[in-house]
Amino acid sequence: MNQIWGSMEQYNTVVWHWPIAVYLFLAGLSAGAIISAIVVKWMKGNDVSPWDGIIKAGAILAPVTIGAGLCLLIFDLTRPLMFWKLLIHYNFGSVMTIGVLALFAYMPVSILFLLGVFKKELAVDGPFKFLAPIADLALNYGKALEAITLVLAVGVGAYTGFLLSAMNSYPLLNTPVLPALFLASGVSAGISANLVVGLLFFTHSTKDANVSYLHGLDVKVIFAELFFIFILFVGMMYQGGATAHAGAAALGTGGLSTLLWVGVIGLGLLLPIGLNFALPHGVKHSHAFVIFNALIVLAGVLALRYYMLYAGQTFVG
Amino acid sequence: MAKKYAMVHDNNLCIGCQACNVACRSENKIPDSVYRLQVWVKQEEYPNGSLGYEYHRQSCVHCENTPCVSVCPTKASHVNEDGIVLVDNDLCVGCLYCVAACPYQARYVHPVTKAPDKCTFCHESRLSRGEEPACVTVCPTEALVFGDLLDPKSKINKVLSERVTYRQKERLGTKPKMYIVPNHKGGINS
Repeated sequence: MNQIWGSMEQYNTVVWHWPIAVYLFLAGLSAGAIISAIVVKWMKGNDVSPWDGIIKAGAILAPVTIGAGLCLLIFDLTRPLMFWKLLIHYNFGSVMTIGVLALFAYMPVSILFLLGVFKKELAVDGPFKFLAPIADLALNYGKALEAITLVLAVGVGAYTGFLLSAMNSYPLLNTPVLPALFLASGVSAGISANLVVGLLFFTHSTKDANVSYLHGLDVKVIFAELFFIFILFVGMMYQGGATAHAGAAALGTGGLSTLLWVGVIGLGLLLPIGLNFALPHGVKHSHAFVIFNALIVLAGVLALRYYMLYAGQTFVG
Repeated sequence: MAKKYAMVHDNNLCIGCQACNVACRSENKIPDSVYRLQVWVKQEEYPNGSLGYEYHRQSCVHCENTPCVSVCPTKASHVNEDGIVLVDNDLCVGCLYCVAACPYQARYVHPVTKAPDKCTFCHESRLSRGEEPACVTVCPTEALVFGDLLDPKSKINKVLSERVTYRQKERLGTKPKMYIVPNHKGGINS
């Protein structure tokens, strides 16, 4: 405190910290995992039990990651014991309320999906026999429930972007492309997490054709992400003034810009694309490579969430 | 009768003495580490080489189109019938969305309640007794003028009719009810 007006500590523009970045990552991953599991389940030959390992992976990952993310979110509140007020008081103009309502619907349908896929393990042979009728319900109305789940998952994936883009106090976040970027990177993270869990824990039930399909889809989504990041910064430059200044600072200042270039773009986006084109077919389709590739994509997506949250709040023009 | 309270900060009358800052702390019992109000003093050098000072009142500007209220998921952040932006601690979960969304950095987390806190125009204390906010009362140069925009005879409407004013970050469409009379020398950094 060396100004006559007092300490300026409270004027730090970084309000939300790493737990929010991890939540944004987990919410995107959850949505992407169930979206890619449903896409695979709807493909010919996959829509009957025994389920493909990818579908099993998505069924587990979706509720577990969103649950973990929400716990993190609640403990990050400054008044965590008051969190229940979020569930009964609504402001329909707030993206956070829309998110709460989307999650209200998303949580149960993702658990229904889990019950349907793991009916045998949980409700027939497992300890949750009383849930058998619900598992049957999930299986009998599978297509309809999955269609609803798909829409809600897109909502959850995109809302994390709208949550940040709604704030005009931060030029890097206040951009219309952010929800699209977050949805795309969430899908990429979900695909990658499904591949890792499917290949490691459900090795025998994961079909190579599905692995190849998802891996190929991931590469396409990565191209979309690169384009969205390009649009984001070009858009900021075209707006001029403080926004252009903030954009230039975010691209070239300090550790955060290193994280963007090395972590997000280099490791998370360019390396997977490069390896995919450079490596011989045999290596590319080995399980070890697919798992390695998925892990670097996941690291890149986490880096993107961390970068966007911190750079967004740091470079305010 | 609903009112529309607003304030004028005149840069030519302000001397950066921080009497407002101190009065606010004492009236509203603000904990040591945080501030509802500061006046930032910045030295300026004009094109002819002469020196002067710019004064920035750092506090809530009581927007009409309030980003903090729009984003609040529980309506804890709200505007009362007199146009004053307030926080209802009973509804606040502490998500800090309002703190992040405020383009004026007017909010801080109260160290005791852990809910965001901010300038209230002394609504809960002095205003309810028919007195002006503490900062306005103590200002030794009458750089602060407070009043009801809906009353054509109010002192603030007289000042707004006689002096040039602008509002910070008007491009964001927030319509602040904090009017600044710019320094008569130099440029305006809105």
